[in-house]
Amino acid sequence: MIRLENVSLSFGEKVILDNTSLSIKKGEIAIILGPSGAGKSSMLKIMIGLWQPDSGSVYIDNKDISKLSELDMLPIRRNMGIVFQGNALFDSLSVEENVAYFLKEHGGIKESLIKEKVSEILSFINLDGTEKICVDQLSGGMKKRVAIARALSFDPDIIFYDEPTTGLDPINSKSILDLIKRVSEQGATSIVVTHILNDAISIGDTLSVINEGHLVETGTVHHMLRSENKFVKGFFYEVYQDAALLKIKFYKQ
Amino acid sequence: MVSLIITFKKKILLLQDYTLMLRDLFLSIRFVNKCRSDIFNEMYLVGSQAFLLVLLGGVFMGIILALETGHQLDQFGAKTLVGRTVALGMVRELGPTITGLLMAARAGAKNASELGAMQISEQIDALRAFGTSPILKLVMPRTIAAMVMFLPLTAIADMSGILSGMIVTKLSLHVDTSFFWHSIVSSLMMKDIFVGFIKPILFAYFIATISCFYGFQTRGGTSALGKNTINAVVVSSLIVLVLDFIFTKVVWELL
Repeated sequence: MIRLENVSLSFGEKVILDNTSLSIKKGEIAIILGPSGAGKSSMLKIMIGLWQPDSGSVYIDNKDISKLSELDMLPIRRNMGIVFQGNALFDSLSVEENVAYFLKEHGGIKESLIKEKVSEILSFINLDGTEKICVDQLSGGMKKRVAIARALSFDPDIIFYDEPTTGLDPINSKSILDLIKRVSEQGATSIVVTHILNDAISIGDTLSVINEGHLVETGTVHHMLRSENKFVKGFFYEVYQDAALLKIKFYKQ
Repeated sequence: MVSLIITFKKKILLLQDYTLMLRDLFLSIRFVNKCRSDIFNEMYLVGSQAFLLVLLGGVFMGIILALETGHQLDQFGAKTLVGRTVALGMVRELGPTITGLLMAARAGAKNASELGAMQISEQIDALRAFGTSPILKLVMPRTIAAMVMFLPLTAIADMSGILSGMIVTKLSLHVDTSFFWHSIVSSLMMKDIFVGFIKPILFAYFIATISCFYGFQTRGGTSALGKNTINAVVVSSLIVLVLDFIFTKVVWELL
């Protein structure tokens, strides 16, 4: 469904992505994992078409989007939903207006149908009754939910999540991860960029580890946990350590 | 020397990006109907909310012009020509220029800071990502609204300047209002009015597009937002003055 072929990107002297290839299947939750500054968000922005790669191709449903103009990208983007790291909600608008924004923007849908759709989505993400609240009055977790609701408004085939749990407390993180799983169960392909290993392991069907602009390894969680790659092993060591600590605490109690 | 070349190269790249934005704006004209409500909203913000500012600007320009020229002309016994000087000065030069400069500060700062804040908070990326063109949604309404609203605002500046000049001339220089009006009617020609009303359309176009461009160029945090807002106002104001010079020197001689 999504395929990156030999994608390279650099800003001046700084290489962000170096000849990276990646393939994501329809319907899966694909995690792009790596430390901060590894090139994860850049890869996401290239997949969405917000940035154009210096070389290489990006295929969405076998259509190369890497050289499309902004205007040609518009219909393709309407089939995608994006949840930005900082949510990118329109802070002067209410929850309802934010979720309905692009439905109204692209026209052709009756006001009553938009209202119905918004209330259906808000109910799905457990935010009933918040329609009229201005988004700047919401908590971080609720804002993230609204951002997910907005991404769902067009029933997209692909949803991109950029660091969806960063800055959230463990309870809110858990509920956002559950929500991502539920959205994926509806049939959408989910691409999640994160540096939080536990999140990646708990929801990911496939994990792709990147470091310094290179794709280090890709595979299932099971495959990754048994990887012999030095970087992957080092990165996953954190999980073993956390698990070991939990075990010790548990037995002490 | 190397840093000078790098700075020059950056300015050229900036100009290239601005030109590309203008090209996209031109290509988006066919979808203008889609942003009708945004245009009306911006017309209200650009026009009616700037009414008082432009009115006061015009009033004080008219007073200053009448007093300064009146006292000079009085020395040659020609104070009855004050009306002509004030009217020509306001309609040809000061009305459009003062409106342009005030609007470069007001609308320019508004556009650059709004769009800059949207850029920093990824809202512009969100528009693009959800299939909405930021040029059509943000730049087009601001540009059209400015081009439409600068005309009545300039007319207000012209009229308030001439009327305040007339009152000051009557009270300070004791010139009868009928003399004042007569000198205006006999001196003002259609080409004065034509040039006086073509200028604000061009000023509006450049103020709106330059300020939006600087808003889009904002990267980083609040200091970048402040810096780009200042740049937008400075460059827009300079463009107003340069265009005014071009019009006065070149176009006026051609007509």
